[in-house]
Amino acid sequence: MSLASARASDAFIDYSALRALVVEDYPGMRNALRQSLTNFGITRVQLAANAAEAIYQVKHKPYDFILCDFNLGDGRDGQQLLEEMRHSHLISLETVFIMVTAESYYEKVVATAELAPDDYMIKPFSPEILRSRLDSILRRKRAFRDVYLHFMAQELDASIAACDKLIRNQPKYLVDALRFKGELLVTLGRLEEAEALYQQVISMRAIPWARLGLARALHLQKKDEAAEKELRDVLEQAPEMVTAYDLLSEVCLAKKDAPAAQEALEQGVAISARTVRRQQKLGDIAHTNGDLETARTAFSNVLEKGRHSVFVTPSDFGNLCRVQVEQGDLQGAADTLKKNKSSLQDSPEGQLVMAVAQGMVQVRSGNLKEAAKALEEATALRASGTRGDARLMLDLAGTCMASGRHDEADGIVAEVARNAHDSEALLDRARKLYDEAGRTEAGASVLALATADVRKLNNEGVMLAQRGDFRTAVDTLLTACAEAPRNPRIIMNAVWVILKYIDQDGMDENMIEAARRHLDEAERQAPGHARIADLRRHMKDVESRFGAQTKATA
Amino acid sequence: MKFDGTELYAALIHELKNDLGLLSMTIDGIPQQGEPEHDATVGAARLLCQGVVDRLQQALLIYKAIDQPVQPSIDAWSPRDAVHEIRDRAAALSRGRIQVEAALAPDVPEIWFFDRDLVEMALINAIHNSLAYARSSLRIEASMLEGCLALTVRDDSPGYPAHILAGTGAGSSGHAKGTGLGLQFSRLIAQSHDNQGRRGELRLHNDQGAVFCLLLP
Repeated sequence: MSLASARASDAFIDYSALRALVVEDYPGMRNALRQSLTNFGITRVQLAANAAEAIYQVKHKPYDFILCDFNLGDGRDGQQLLEEMRHSHLISLETVFIMVTAESYYEKVVATAELAPDDYMIKPFSPEILRSRLDSILRRKRAFRDVYLHFMAQELDASIAACDKLIRNQPKYLVDALRFKGELLVTLGRLEEAEALYQQVISMRAIPWARLGLARALHLQKKDEAAEKELRDVLEQAPEMVTAYDLLSEVCLAKKDAPAAQEALEQGVAISARTVRRQQKLGDIAHTNGDLETARTAFSNVLEKGRHSVFVTPSDFGNLCRVQVEQGDLQGAADTLKKNKSSLQDSPEGQLVMAVAQGMVQVRSGNLKEAAKALEEATALRASGTRGDARLMLDLAGTCMASGRHDEADGIVAEVARNAHDSEALLDRARKLYDEAGRTEAGASVLALATADVRKLNNEGVMLAQRGDFRTAVDTLLTACAEAPRNPRIIMNAVWVILKYIDQDGMDENMIEAARRHLDEAERQAPGHARIADLRRHMKDVESRFGAQTKATA
Repeated sequence: MKFDGTELYAALIHELKNDLGLLSMTIDGIPQQGEPEHDATVGAARLLCQGVVDRLQQALLIYKAIDQPVQPSIDAWSPRDAVHEIRDRAAALSRGRIQVEAALAPDVPEIWFFDRDLVEMALINAIHNSLAYARSSLRIEASMLEGCLALTVRDDSPGYPAHILAGTGAGSSGHAKGTGLGLQFSRLIAQSHDNQGRRGELRLHNDQGAVFCLLLP
């Protein structure tokens, strides 16, 4: 094949092979869009009127192209739909997602690549423009094929190498490749390189996403003053850039300025109130700050705006009830439970939230008999292995204490403490429970005892590893894991020493299997923790060097 | 629901914009019948409808610019893609009535930093003017000029009238009629682009027709 014909086939895009999904709530527009796509030669076009229908469609069939209106009426909006699809891995990086919006303003709302669609169209738009944009995205995806394939196989170093190749050879994709590479560097914790990369982009032009990336790289290197300055400056120029508020709030938290963190999130929520995760964070921080009214509004919004959202869990119901109880609004808490009874009863975790919240309400109302009933239920669920988040478990412990069930309370607190031996916020909260119950001394000893073992085992394990005795370090840290099976720090340390052990002594199938299992647990306990990506990369590296069979995923 | 004046207008304009978008797509769906009178009428309706849509978008942007300066969203875009996009759009609008060409100077870089949507809106506006006045052809060009990316729409019309070229055109007419809103709009967009102290410009001149040129630093 001559070079010229290779180029021609390179440029050719077979529209008849594409599977397209149009998500649009207005029937007239839906059909008009289908007609346009058909005119392009796309014969397989499915329609969805709302987010729920769209999710149903992508679960049952893969799509190459999704054209989605931002405003989808009452349910989730297009952005929430995109985030859920990405989060639940319903669409891959190879799927083209184009958002249709009424305003150019939208673009500033989604500044990070993770949340951004491949492109957006401002209404009303012409079919020719849609066609040319689709064309260039498909070409770009083709150019990024290796980058994406390695990324999806979690071979991040190889993905970076593929980015570098684009950066060297395809000036057209220089900035896109730098953007993707920047996020990979951050994921891998190669923060100095990430910082330099974002500076490189900024030296071409100070585009907002590069400045945001720079701020993130600075923040992760604990250069929070510089990160804050960058963010405040970006926001002065583009005050509607919501993700900058999220990052600013993290920076403020790192600087131990919780009120400023809350203020930043409140500004973000004022611009875009529908994002569930922003509301969850705002609720948490406001609650920590003792601003119960704001916490209550935020947690209510989580439940209201997040109906059917994958980001809403039973914990969110517990959060709202906790605030309502603390405000003394027992009727409100009872109403929350009543209103959401059917969805909570669906899962043991939901049942536990219901029992614990019910217990709190009844104790405060002085109905000890009803409280005891709720406690029995919670105890039974816990005995069968059901757990809630740490705060819920502490709520349970508090109710136990108020009902005179001190041994049970101590057991629950000890379990929470073992699994969070390094979280001052949770340990503080536990101490407060004991203070309120007039058992300060008892609390101190429960907490000391619970954390001492875990801390000791953890320190021993790390020390052994530093001395190079990985075999004993593995045993020690796996014992620590058995003591504290939900403690992300301990679990990650265990995975780390297992991998070091294999590095040194060669492959051990049982060991690598244990490492895989524990890493999955760490991901469940601390989703998105920076170290997890690092460990995954290490594991991948060990597997490829020693030729382990990667366990087929079910 | 209670509306105050501004909200009512905003809601109304939003609805109108959507309806017009739909109307224009509906007209797009009418097939050509090879019968000159019919096809010409549909073509004219289509062009007019697109013109109204574009005009409405301009009006909205200018209305917003009264309170605050136009804030472009700058990112890296391909000038080649932009030129091709506009060419395809112009060709579709002209439906073969006018010959549409695109040209890219060899020194134009693969990427440039600008607000794609704003810049394309300005170019489409120039295209509408050219389609109304050009005799037989129009040309969309990308080149480098004074260190800026120059995006040019060139036609073989009688050209801009003298008062427009003299820069006294603000508020008065475009080519020959119209309100001059479009040029004012394009100038706003050009000037909103700013790089290291260099501001974007709109330059108009006549050279065997009207030449509309956006200079982006």
